[in-house]
Parts: sequence; C-alpha cells; structure tokens
Amino acid sequence: MIVRTSSAKERPLRIAVPKGALFADSVRVLERAGFDVEGLAEPGRQLIVRGGDIEFVIAKPTDVPIYVAYGGVDAAIAGKDVLVESGLDVIEMVDLHFGACRFVVAEPMDTPRSIEDIYRHLGVIRVATKYPRIAERHFAERGMQVEVVKLDGNIEIAPLIGLADQIVDITATGRTLAENRLRVIEEVLRSTARFVANPVSMATEADRMKDVADRLAAAVPLSEEE
Amino acid sequence: MRPVTPRGFRDVLFAEAMERESVARAMSDVFSAWGYAPVETPVVEELGTLERGVGGGVGEGMFRLFDVDGSLLALRPEMTVPIARLAASRLADQPGPHRVRYVAPVFREHVSLRGQARQFTQAGVELIGQRGPAADAEVVAVAADALTAAGLEGFVIGLGTVKLLHDLVAAADAPAEWGEAVLAAAHEHNIVEVDRLASEMFVPPQVGEALKAAFRLRGGAEALAECRALLEACGREETLSDLSETYRILEALGYADAVVLDFGIVRSFDYYTGLVLEVYARGLGLPIGGGGRYDRLLAAFDHPSPAAGLALGLERVMIALAEQGRVTSVPALDAIVGGTDPVAAFRAASALRVAGWRVRLAVGETGTGLVREAEHADAAEAVLADGETIYRLDRVGERALPLGRPLPAPPRSTWAEGGAR
Repeated sequence: MIVRTSSAKERPLRIAVPKGALFADSVRVLERAGFDVEGLAEPGRQLIVRGGDIEFVIAKPTDVPIYVAYGGVDAAIAGKDVLVESGLDVIEMVDLHFGACRFVVAEPMDTPRSIEDIYRHLGVIRVATKYPRIAERHFAERGMQVEVVKLDGNIEIAPLIGLADQIVDITATGRTLAENRLRVIEEVLRSTARFVANPVSMATEADRMKDVADRLAAAVPLSEEE
Repeated sequence: MRPVTPRGFRDVLFAEAMERESVARAMSDVFSAWGYAPVETPVVEELGTLERGVGGGVGEGMFRLFDVDGSLLALRPEMTVPIARLAASRLADQPGPHRVRYVAPVFREHVSLRGQARQFTQAGVELIGQRGPAADAEVVAVAADALTAAGLEGFVIGLGTVKLLHDLVAAADAPAEWGEAVLAAAHEHNIVEVDRLASEMFVPPQVGEALKAAFRLRGGAEALAECRALLEACGREETLSDLSETYRILEALGYADAVVLDFGIVRSFDYYTGLVLEVYARGLGLPIGGGGRYDRLLAAFDHPSPAAGLALGLERVMIALAEQGRVTSVPALDAIVGGTDPVAAFRAASALRVAGWRVRLAVGETGTGLVREAEHADAAEAVLADGETIYRLDRVGERALPLGRPLPAPPRSTWAEGGAR
C-alpha cells in the first residue's frame, strides 16, 4: 500500500501526535521546540490542526506507525512500544525521554500451581497481552513455548479468570499490577516516546525534517534524561 | 457464489492495463536504447536458490510452494537473484559484460490487513560483468532516463554506499557483537540506537562522531566533502572513492538535479556490496525503486562476477504519475464499424486499420444502435460501411459525410502527443 499525498513543493509538513497518555508531553516538547501548538491545545473535534507551516494530525497511538510508514504523515511522536509492536519501517530519529514505561512479564502472586510446574507438565504456557509481537519475540528469545492470547484491554484480568498463566503488559509504576495481586517477574523492554520519520520524507524533505528533529532534540530537557 | 481474487492479488482492466502497458513500454524502450536485452525467467525458483541470494529481509516474505517430490519452491520476490542465477548458469560461458532488462511480476507475502499487494511488477536492468564507477553511473543514468521517458517529473535518486557503515564498523576495532548491533540498528533505521552504540566507551571518538554524523548527511558535493573528512579522520580515505567518481560522472552529464547523495540509505537486501540507490517521487511515502552494486551475489552461484542493477516498481510509478496528473488517457477505440453487409464492414474496418485507426466491428448494427454502441465503447466515431463507402454517423444516427479517399488520419492524436481527444 502507498499513500497519495499532495506533491506540491510548498505543502506543510505533517506530524502525527498521539492521543492519550503521551499527548500532553508531546504538545509540551513541541512547544519548547518553538512550534505553534495553539491549535493542539484546544483541538475541539478537529483531527488535523495547523500550526505555522506544520499540520498536526491527532491520531490513535497504535495507528501512528502506520501513518508514518505509509507516508500519510511525514513524521510523528510515538511510543517505542507501539513502534516495536507494529514492526513497520520508520526512521527513529530522537529519543524524547518522556512517557517512560516498561514492558514486563507478570503472574499472579498466589497460584495453586507454579508456572514451572505447568510448563513441565503441559509444555506450554498461556500468555495474555495487548502486544502479541513483543510477547512472541520475548519468549522466542528465551526459548519458551507459549500460546499468546491477544486481548484489547484490562490484561490484568486474564490470569484472574484463568484465561492465561502470565501476562505481558506495560507498567509505569506497577501499581495496577499490585492491586490485582500480580507480581513482575521480568522486564521485557523499556519504552520512551520517540520522534520518528517516514524514510522517503527524510529524503524528499531533508532540510525541513532535519530542522524539526534538531529542534526537538534540543528541546528534550536534560533533567528528564535517564 | 461470486468469485474473488485472493487477498493482495487483483485484476487489471482496460484503461489501466493500457496505461501500464504504455509506461512499461516507454521504460523498456530506454533500457533497449542503452543496449539492454530482454530476458524472461520462471516465476518459480528453487527456494534454496532464492534464499542463498536474497538472504535476510525479504527471505521471510516469500511465497512458498511444494513440488510433487516434496522439494521447496518459491515465487520470486524480486528479479535480481533469478537473473544472477541465469547469468551464473546460462551465460556462464559467454563473454560479458551482459546487459539485461525485464518487466516482470514478482511476489511477496505480507500479513493480512496491511493493504499491501502480494503481486507487483518490476521494470529494471542488470549490468553483469563490469565493476567500477562508470558502470554504477550507467545504472543510475538509465534509471533517470527511464523515469523521464515515463513522464515523471521531480523524482530524486538517492545514492549511498554500504561501504560507509562497514568501514566505520571495521575502523572502530570493537567486539564483533557491537558491529552486528550497529548494522542491525541501521537496518531498522533506528538512529537513536546507532547514536547510543556510537557513544560506547570503547569506540574511538572519531569513529563515534563519524557514525553519528554520516548517517544524517545528505546533499551534493558539499555533503560528499563533509563525509570524506569524517572518514579520513578514521583513516578510511578509500571508502568513498567509487561513489565520488560515480557522482562526478553523473554531475558532469547533467544529472545533478535528479540525484542526491544520501549516506543514510540502507537497503533491506543483504547482497549489496557498494553503491545503493533509492528512487523517490514527491508525495509518495515509499520509494518507487531501488538497486545497487552486488559484486558477491554471483559468487553464491559459483560464478563470481561483479554486477549492478536497479528495479522500478511499475505500480508505484503509475501512482506517482497519477499524482502528478501525468497519466495520459487515450480513448481505446477510434471507431465502431457497422453495416448490414459483413463483407463490406470487414473491408471498411481493414481499410481504416491500414490508415492507422483502431476500430471494432459491430456487424449488423446501423443508425442509433450503432451510435449507442460507439458511446458504450468510448469510441470517437461511429461509422457505417455501405458497399465501398464509409459514412460517419452523427449523434442521432443519421448519415453525415462519407470519409474521403485516401482515408483521413484517426480522430485521436497519438500516444506521444498526449492522447488528447
């Protein structure tokens, strides 16, 4: 698939901004980088807002990699987690350091049978997750046989109702997991927000894209560095 | 039941088929004019042959089949490996260099619901048996000429070299795992990770700097000079010598507007050894073509020979043309020929064809019926054969003036003139 956009030379650059948890920080870093984000602060129901020579596209976070990889937008802010899960070809330009979270494997604190026991006798464990690719890749690297069950939300419930033995999910503080009597057993991946670009836009709009990336890199506050 | 095509496959009908044909022909004519000869290879190859050639990347995305004896086959995912296989076998005893061209369907497996075609058409050339900057420049110039002939404007051919990354990794003199990690991150276009790896303690500072900066360098002669300076600081004066010369040749020939040096290009195929190129069109989010130098590929088939080539995606070129409003649509037919006497109608049609008309027969049709048929077929004219005379019909099916002899030129203009009716 390939996206058809205006080929006019003077078109605005399109940058996707993810709704939800990363939205406020995204707007803040864009503002610090000197972009006109007035429209983003009060978008109303508009999904595309203009700020100077940039068009901001407000997108569902998991759709952002698709917009970028197929060229619907030139660039975007996206969590490393959705980038890995999408498996699409985008250029990862800048680590913006906000939106930090980790992917973890978790299991119930009190199970009648240990996971090792289940694995020994059944040869496979069931894992519930919103992120099947990340989960599959992790267990493949560990050489463990798993059956991945993809769910769309409230992953913590899966072990409680017997749907899965373990879960792979994101956590920032680990509180939700603890409240559902789940404990973290290992870390899969650390994620932060990234500035990403479409490979062709990097070539055809090289100067403007580099300018945006440099300004964003300069706007990442050192205090937020890990 | 209404039959459907399998996901990712489609039919190509009349107007689109005609436009594809004309663009493919325009590009093939350029390839021919540069002395490239056509070849056809089977759509199916031994899986092992393709895997040995393609390596990682597309390897997983191949359409696999079982032969009756249980051996594994696959539909070709691109044309370079089949042509390398052909050159290493059928052409092995013939003196090179070989210049071959093709327009051929290729097949790739994709996950569902990503809106991607599993069959598409590539038009390309391979120059086998010649090494060096002149051969590289030829491949780039052929690509530029073919796209110009297809009617595309404002395309950009990005030129890079895989030597840059490999030499910098070697210059770092770091553990092998580090080098592999750098190459993997570069393949994933993960600049954040390349930067992180470049900043590792054991990486010599000038190599780290070069890795960080070179990947972002893009432009003309000044970018080349900058990249050279970075490499010289690492003691790698030779890395860019071929690319510099290729660029000098292209610049001197007036291709400077169509090419840009881009040291960030990383192609997904493992077989490239030097020049890598990618073709971009404004407004399209994916490259419309790519290629490069693959001096070690033929050695995988026990017949070492240098080679370079490029492929353009016909579908993507068509989208780029459509986006620029440059696809010429031509009425498929000049006239529908009717009349009650079949022999007279056939004779009239044949005389019109000799005069360059594209005509279709509608034996038995006259008057308004014939006019309606012409409208349905989007033909420019409805004509009626009556004995030796050919009459034009007006909108209501009445006979207008007869066509004079010798017969006039067809009402459409030619393809070359843009096909305006």
